Amino acid sequence: MNKLVLENLTKSYGEVHAVNNISLTVEQGEFLTLLGPSGCGKSTTLAAIAGLDRPTSGVVRFGDHVLFDDMSGRFAPPEKRGFGVVFQSYALWPHLTVERNVSMPLELRRVSRAERTRRVGETLELVGLSGFEKRYPGELSGGQQQRVALARAVVFRPPLLLLDEPLSNLDAQLRQSARVWLKEIQRELGLTAIYVTHDQEEALAMSDRIAVMRAGKIVQLGTPQEIYERPQHPFAATFIGSANLIEGIVEQSARRGDAIVTRLRLADGQHLDGHSAVPMAAGTKAKLAVRGERMRVAEESGANTLDAGFTTASYLGNHYEQKLMLAGQEIRMLVDVPQPERAGKIHIAESDALVFSAE
Amino acid sequence: MNTQSAETTLAPPRIGPALMPLSRSRMAQWLIFVITAVLVLAPALPILLQVFVAGPLYERDWDFTFANIGRLLGNEAIGEIALTTLAFAGLTTLIAQVLGVTAALLFGRTDMPGRRVMGDMMMWPLYLSHLIMVVGWLIVYGPSGFLTQAFARMFGNAPWNLYSIPGMAVVAGVSQAPLAYLYCLYGVARSIDPTLESAARTCGAGPLTVMRRVTLPLMLPAIVTSSALNIVIAVEMLSIPLFLGRPARIDTLSSYLYLEGIGASNPQHGMVAASALVLVVLVGATLALQRLLLSRGHRYETVKGKGTRPAPLQLGALKWPLFTLAVLYIAFVVLVPVLGLVLRAFTSYLTPLIPIWDVLTLQNFRDVFQTDAYMRALWNTLIIAVVAAGLGTLLTALIALVIQRSGFPFRRTLEALAYSPRMVPGLITGLGVFYAAIVFAPFGWLRDSIWILVVAYIMATIPLGLGAIQPSVVQIGADLDKAARTVGADWITSMRRILLPLMKPALLGCFVLLFVVHLKSYVVAIFLMAPGLEIMGVTMLGLWENGAAGVTAAFATLQIAMIAILLIAARLVFGVKLYE
Repeated sequence: MNKLVLENLTKSYGEVHAVNNISLTVEQGEFLTLLGPSGCGKSTTLAAIAGLDRPTSGVVRFGDHVLFDDMSGRFAPPEKRGFGVVFQSYALWPHLTVERNVSMPLELRRVSRAERTRRVGETLELVGLSGFEKRYPGELSGGQQQRVALARAVVFRPPLLLLDEPLSNLDAQLRQSARVWLKEIQRELGLTAIYVTHDQEEALAMSDRIAVMRAGKIVQLGTPQEIYERPQHPFAATFIGSANLIEGIVEQSARRGDAIVTRLRLADGQHLDGHSAVPMAAGTKAKLAVRGERMRVAEESGANTLDAGFTTASYLGNHYEQKLMLAGQEIRMLVDVPQPERAGKIHIAESDALVFSAE
Repeated sequence: MNTQSAETTLAPPRIGPALMPLSRSRMAQWLIFVITAVLVLAPALPILLQVFVAGPLYERDWDFTFANIGRLLGNEAIGEIALTTLAFAGLTTLIAQVLGVTAALLFGRTDMPGRRVMGDMMMWPLYLSHLIMVVGWLIVYGPSGFLTQAFARMFGNAPWNLYSIPGMAVVAGVSQAPLAYLYCLYGVARSIDPTLESAARTCGAGPLTVMRRVTLPLMLPAIVTSSALNIVIAVEMLSIPLFLGRPARIDTLSSYLYLEGIGASNPQHGMVAASALVLVVLVGATLALQRLLLSRGHRYETVKGKGTRPAPLQLGALKWPLFTLAVLYIAFVVLVPVLGLVLRAFTSYLTPLIPIWDVLTLQNFRDVFQTDAYMRALWNTLIIAVVAAGLGTLLTALIALVIQRSGFPFRRTLEALAYSPRMVPGLITGLGVFYAAIVFAPFGWLRDSIWILVVAYIMATIPLGLGAIQPSVVQIGADLDKAARTVGADWITSMRRILLPLMKPALLGCFVLLFVVHLKSYVVAIFLMAPGLEIMGVTMLGLWENGAAGVTAAFATLQIAMIAILLIAARLVFGVKLYE
């Protein structure tokens, strides 16, 4: 089986670790997304897998092949790896036609002319660009260029497809459809894909698993549902679905049934129960993450009830985003009907409030 | 479509044994590195050696000594010569900068009528060698020049004297003004963000105030860079000091070097090498100063993408007076010397005392075409220029690719090496190659073949070629060759199939630039001259020194015609515009 394995991968620029000791295994046929803000090291990780950038230390393995190992000094250049790469800039060669762009990988592999024509034709059909063979990249729209870039990356049936923010240069509408289309092709060809993006929606919609990255480290690795429902780090909670973070002090923490319920005292003395991964020591500082759409204005039995001051509401189309002050902090919630700007009550279910250590 | 997914993966192409420590790409990079290092260092080392050897290097018994340096320091004349050189270089640069900056502002930033045509004509001296410029000036403004005599007949004595340091500096200054013009024009005048100027206008500044307070200060880096280049060029300039300084017993370092190294019956090689070192130090210090001055360059960074062409400044009432001044300048400084030169080529004697139609003749050209050595000079020049420009373009392109687009571990060293000939004046390059051919056995075959000139020319112009090519490489997105690598091309293949085709316009531009430079070059060749190796420039130098003004002018006219045809052809056929 062709598994991609990263072991303790590190890329440093002087004192700065762009990628800091990452370990990761990608299974065959899997669609894995590296998700994070700019500068989190996701593109550097991808470049290390592609062989475009030499890591500082660690190991990169694919199947039986060691592609990089700092101990033995082994480093396979990109042309020896045979992975398909789709660049953010598409990187289409402007002096070559669409056909020649796509057939270049085959020419380099000394594939016969007849076979080349067949494969290029098939691949262009796959990406929906039949009839564009003789065009030059400069004569194509952004969406079409993106398709040529994908065609070029898959025409030689690479065992692994690497995509570096391939949709970020498309406009919002095109991005939506390209997302679906890209995922379909990946499934159809049975490709293993590693996808880099900073767009959480893209990541949630397309991935089998997501690796949330921050400051060169993987903060959380899991399925989209796990990442969204059970973030293991305040950063994962805020970056995906932009949860509110509320600060407090742990009062008590105890197992109740399957969950560990931790009670926080907020700055204004109110109490709030939430779930935490481990029991937490009383008196320590904690952060509580709660998503805007999981907070209620209507009363709910068994939920935390808190005093809050509603402020401005902004209209977002299908709902409103209401700002409110809770224990001296501004937080945001989603409501169907805007609340008048005055003091009121909100309700948060215990299981929707996730408590993390503040350290 | 489902058949597709059943197809097996195509293995990456086989390029030599897998994971070989020294791939063919790395070997190619090493080769480029070694060629560059040899080209650059081989001529430099023998000069250093000669400084410490008593006799000439070609005498096999080397007697190591410090006497050369001692004699150099003890020689009072050298101190005076160095001061003269500095005064000449300083004054030249001042004149060139004032003219160049003014022209860049007027032709590049205002609505002055005829600014395009005059801007193009302003550049002419740059396409011609100093040798031709000085001959043209002497024919028109020299002590027995056409206009000098005409002026003297009407008003008594002419108030100018070219045989003086200011006279030398004027000729050198107007020859170098185009360089300052070019840097300031493309550095800022054409690319400045117009909102910076508009902002000043909204604050209440008039057009001239805007130029003085905003545009000019933003030009500072361009002014510093072109000043440094002009100082360097003035320091190593040979023909102007030789033709204008010598008659008045004014020596600069290069004319001193020339006369000691070539002219003297018993050349003191140790002294020559030692004073060559002084020249290199002067040039190096200038370039170091330039780097220091520009180390805070970000303060002047104004060009941020956006290809908007700034709206020209309205001159208003000043328009026509400034226009008149510009026309007079172009006429008397650029046109008249060139016309005088051409006229001299077609006459037996040029003086206001005799009507021109009485002296018209083709004899000068007949002399050129009927003398074997002169014809050889013509052909040699052409062949050397083509070969050296071609090989030079290829080499600099490869150097640029290794520097910009490879993982070669010593690419920074390669860059430093490749730019180092900037520190070595052309005269010294020639001297160094001459020594190298004597000292290093593997270079022996170069002696007495025109390849020695090709090698010297290539070496001398590596920085120039690199300067023309490197920006175009930088402009090509790095993803383009990375993409080639990911689909299976090694470094060599991705450079050959992706980068080089994309660099075609820059390569053509570089070739034309180098061709013109080689065509007009003569300084590099001076120490390498031997029977059979004649080239136009050096032949002209000799002819003028022997008083054969008519034949010199004919040669110069031919050279001007060749350069003009080449530039026009390049522009028409390939759309290549030099210096853009």
